[in-house]
Amino acid sequence: MMKDLTISQYLLLFVCLFLIHACDNNDTQPAKNTPAEKLTPYPIASTPLPADLVWESNERDPEFSDKTAKRGGTFREFVLSFPLTLRLVGPDSNHSFAHYTRALNMSLIDVQPNTLNPIPALATHWAFGTDNKTVYFKIDPDARWSDGLPVTADDFVYSLEFMRSKFIIDPFSNDYYTTQIANVIKYDDHTIAVVSANPKPADELLQERANIRPVPRHFYKLDKNWVRDYNWQPEPSTAAYKISDVRKGKYVEFSRLKDWWANDKRYYRNRFNPDKIHVKVIRDINIAWQYFEKGELDSFPLTLPDFWYNKAKGKLFDKGYIDKIWFYNSVPQPSQGLWINMTAPPLDDIRVRYALAFALDFDRINNTILHGDYTRLDTQNVGYGAYDNKAIKARSFDIKRAVSYLTETGWTNIGDDGTREKNGSRLSLTISYGQPAYTDRLAMLKEDAKKAGIELQLQFLDSSAFFKQVLEKKHQIAMLGYSAGGLSPEYWQFYHSDNANKPQTNNITNFSDPQMDKWIDTYRLELNKDTRVDLAHKMEKKLFDASIFIPSFKTPYTREAYWRWIKLPKGYATRSSSAVVDVFGSGLFWIDVEEKNRLMAIMRAGTALPPSTITDTTWK
Amino acid sequence: MTLDPQTRKQWRRFRLHPRGFYSAIALILLIMTSGAAELLANNRALIVHYKGEYFFPVYRSFISGTTFGLDYPYETNYRDLAKRFTQQKKGDWLIMPPIPWNPYESHAVEGLFPPLQPSLKYEHFLGTDGAGRDIASRLLYGFRLSIAFSLLLLLCNYFVGTLIGCAMGFYGGKFDLLMQRIIEIWSSIPTLYVIMIVASIMRPNFWVLLGIMVLFDWTLMTWYMRTASYKEKTRTYALAARALGASDWRIITQHILPNTRTLLITFAPFSIAAGITALTALDYLGFGLPPPTPSWGDLLREGMARFDQSWILGSVVCAMVLILVMVTWIGEALREAFDPKQYTVYQ
Repeated sequence: MMKDLTISQYLLLFVCLFLIHACDNNDTQPAKNTPAEKLTPYPIASTPLPADLVWESNERDPEFSDKTAKRGGTFREFVLSFPLTLRLVGPDSNHSFAHYTRALNMSLIDVQPNTLNPIPALATHWAFGTDNKTVYFKIDPDARWSDGLPVTADDFVYSLEFMRSKFIIDPFSNDYYTTQIANVIKYDDHTIAVVSANPKPADELLQERANIRPVPRHFYKLDKNWVRDYNWQPEPSTAAYKISDVRKGKYVEFSRLKDWWANDKRYYRNRFNPDKIHVKVIRDINIAWQYFEKGELDSFPLTLPDFWYNKAKGKLFDKGYIDKIWFYNSVPQPSQGLWINMTAPPLDDIRVRYALAFALDFDRINNTILHGDYTRLDTQNVGYGAYDNKAIKARSFDIKRAVSYLTETGWTNIGDDGTREKNGSRLSLTISYGQPAYTDRLAMLKEDAKKAGIELQLQFLDSSAFFKQVLEKKHQIAMLGYSAGGLSPEYWQFYHSDNANKPQTNNITNFSDPQMDKWIDTYRLELNKDTRVDLAHKMEKKLFDASIFIPSFKTPYTREAYWRWIKLPKGYATRSSSAVVDVFGSGLFWIDVEEKNRLMAIMRAGTALPPSTITDTTWK
Repeated sequence: MTLDPQTRKQWRRFRLHPRGFYSAIALILLIMTSGAAELLANNRALIVHYKGEYFFPVYRSFISGTTFGLDYPYETNYRDLAKRFTQQKKGDWLIMPPIPWNPYESHAVEGLFPPLQPSLKYEHFLGTDGAGRDIASRLLYGFRLSIAFSLLLLLCNYFVGTLIGCAMGFYGGKFDLLMQRIIEIWSSIPTLYVIMIVASIMRPNFWVLLGIMVLFDWTLMTWYMRTASYKEKTRTYALAARALGASDWRIITQHILPNTRTLLITFAPFSIAAGITALTALDYLGFGLPPPTPSWGDLLREGMARFDQSWILGSVVCAMVLILVMVTWIGEALREAFDPKQYTVYQ
C-alpha cells in the first residue's frame, strides 16, 4: 500500500531519481578501446596454404531483391521489452532483442534464401580441406566495420581468443569455441582457415560450424570489467545498419550506412532500404496494435488467429489503407507439443503415454479457437527436407483406444468425478507451461482427457521458472516448442542417454535407449547424407513408438499487416523468410515516401482504395 | 433471542438507510445463490427422468453415458441427451439449469469461432470467452470464489488482528512496545512481491493465496483494536470487573470486545471489498489462482485483450462495479447506524 509522502520525502525521492538517471547516462560513455594502429598483428601460419585447394564462390544464383526498390524513409516497429544489454555475448545477451544485434554482425558466408546454396558474405570464396574439418575462406577486401576500419583475418583469429575468454562470462560460447571449433588460422590478411573439432558433412561444415563471425579486435579490451563496460556499447557493425540512438526503456534506433561496403554486391544490392529503423518498446501487444492502427508502426505480425480474424478488420482494412499478407514459407518447424518426462510415474508406463496421446483432441482445438489455420505436427523434426519421416502420422483422438490402454494397465476404478484410480492413487497428471497463449488450448485438452478418465492439472509458470523446472527434469509433462534448428535434426542433446536423468541438459524426456544411442553416435560422425537420412528416419520412428512427445501444431507460414506505403518485392518474400516485412532478415521491402504522403491526404478525405489481402503458397 | 435496546436501535437506524439495507439483502441473496451455483449454471441436468427412473446428477458422482443408453462410457452430455429425448418421444425428459454450461467446458459451434456473442439461441446469455467458455457461468463461479476468499480472509484477519490488538492494548507496557515495532517491520514487507515470488516458484492454490494474504494483512486491524481496548480498559466497567476478580480473558472477551464491535462491524464491508479487489488484481496480473479456475481477474484480463468483443469486459466490469457499490453502500449504512451521534452532518 502506498503511504502518503511528505514534501521533504518527495524532494528526496526526486533527488534520488535524478542521481539514478545521471548514473544511467554515465555508463554509456565510451569504454577503453585500443587504437587499431597500436595492435600487433597475429602471426601468419607456419605451414603454407595447401596448393591444391579448389576455391568456390557463387555468382550464379538468382538475385532475390527487387531492382525497383527505393532507398529512404524510417521504418517503425516494436518489441515487447527493452534488452538488458547490447552486447552479443555474456550475461543476458540471449534476449529476444538479440536477433537485431546479431543481424548487425555478418558471418563469413550466407545462404541464398530460395535455392539454399551458399553465397558470399564477408568471404568471397571458400574451399574445403581434405579432413572434413577445415574450411578455407578468402575475406572480401572491401569488407569494412561501420567505424571505417577493414575487416581482416585478425578479427577472425581474435574471435577465438575473445569467445574463449573467461571475462565475457559466457559458458556456452567458451565451450562452443573450445569443443566445437578447434582453431582459426591466418594465412594472410585476407585468407583464413576455420577448423572444426570433429568432422562434419560438407554443407553443415560450411554453413554452420565454420561459418563464424568476426569480432572487432580494435574495439574491445578484455578485462574483468568487460561485461559492465561494454553493456551499452554497440559493437561496430559489418551489416547495412548501425545502432545510432538508444533511449533506455524507450527505443533503439538504427541508421543505414551511406557507404556500406556491400551496397553494390550481387546479393546485397537493393536490400535494407529504409534509412532509419526505429524499434519502440511497447510492453503490451494490444497497445502495440493500437499504435499500428494509428499509423505509428509500419507493420504488425498477425500469425495468431485472434489477430488475423478478430483484430485486423474494419475501416482501415476495408478502405485499403492497410494490406494483409499470408505467406507460406519452408523453414524447420519447432517441435511444439507435450514433452513427457518418461521417468515420472505413472508416465513411466508406455501404455499410459499411449493412452494420453489418444485422449487429446488437437483437431478440435485447431478447428475452434485456432480457426483451422494450424496443421498438426506429426513428428518431432519437421521441415528438414529429406530428413523428415513422412510415413509417421501423429496419434489422433480416439477415446476407445485410450480407454483400452488404461484398462490394460489396471487403471480401471473410476472415481466420483470420473477420474481413474489404481491402488488408491488418482490418474492425475500435471502439464507445466510458460506461455499464457497456451492456457485456452490446455483448458480444452483438460476436458478431452477427462473423457478418458485422466485428470490434467495445468501449471502455468513464469517462463524462467518454467525452463528451470524443465531443465531440472522436475516436470511430468511440459508444453513447449523446443528444437535446435539448423540443416538437419539434432538428436544427441535431446535423446542420448548421456543427457538423460541429469539436470541442465536438453534431454527433457529423460529418454534413454541403447539402440538409439548407437544410432545417434553413428549419425553424429556419419558424413554420407543418405545414411544420415536413413538413420534419422529410424530414430524418428523409435521416438514415435516410445510416445515421449505428443506433437501439437506447426505453422508453416507468416501472416502480417502493413500500411500501404510499405512495398514488397516480386514474390513478396523468400522460401526461408520467417517474416515478410523483415528489416534485418532478408530486408527486401521498401518504404514509398511519396505514397505515404499521398495516402495521408487520401485518408483525410476518406476515399476508399481497393483492399488487398495476399495469399502466397509458392513454398507451401 | 432478545436484542438489547442499543442493538435494536442500531438495527432500526440501519433499516432507515434504504440503499444500504436493500444492498445488504441483495448481497446476502447473491451469496446464497452463488452457494448453489451448481443448480444455476451447470452442464449436468437438474432432474433426468429415464425409463421411469429419476436421476439427480448435480450433487453426485458422474453418470456414465451408457446409463442413458448412449454409446460412450464417460460423463453424459445432458444437452445432447435432452435433444435425443425430444426426438425419441418415449416420455423421457430432463430439466437443465438456466445456464446449461459449466465454467470449464468450451463450446464449439460449426462455422463460428469463439468468442461467441451473447445469444439466446446457444444459451450463452453473456456470450463466451476466447476459449468458448460461457461467461455467465464463469462470472457466477468466479463470484463465489472471490466472495468466499474475501470472507475467509476477513475472518482470519479479524481473528488474528483482534486477538493481538486487544492483547497489546490491554497489557500495554513492554509487550505493546515490542509488538508495535514487530508489526511496523512486518507490515513494510510488500505483499504483492511476496506473492509474485511464491507464484514464480509454485502455482499458488486458493489456500496458499489465502495464507499469504492473511500473513501480511492481519496487521491493519491490530492498530484499531489496540487503540479501542486501550481506551476501554480504563473505563469504570472494566475496572469494576477487575475489582470483582474477573480474569484477563473474561475482561477482554466479555467486557472489552462487545464494546469494540462497532469498529469491527463498520470495517467489515470495506475489508470484503478489499478482499475481492485483491484477488481480482492478482488474477488479472497472472499471479492468482491457477488456470482454468473461473475468476473475475482472468475475465478482466481477457476483456482487456479483446477490447473489441465488448461483452467480455462489459460483463465483468458491470458485475464488479455492482458488487463493490453494494458493499460500499452497506458500509455507509452501517457506519451511520453505529454512529453515536444521531444527527451528524457529513461535510
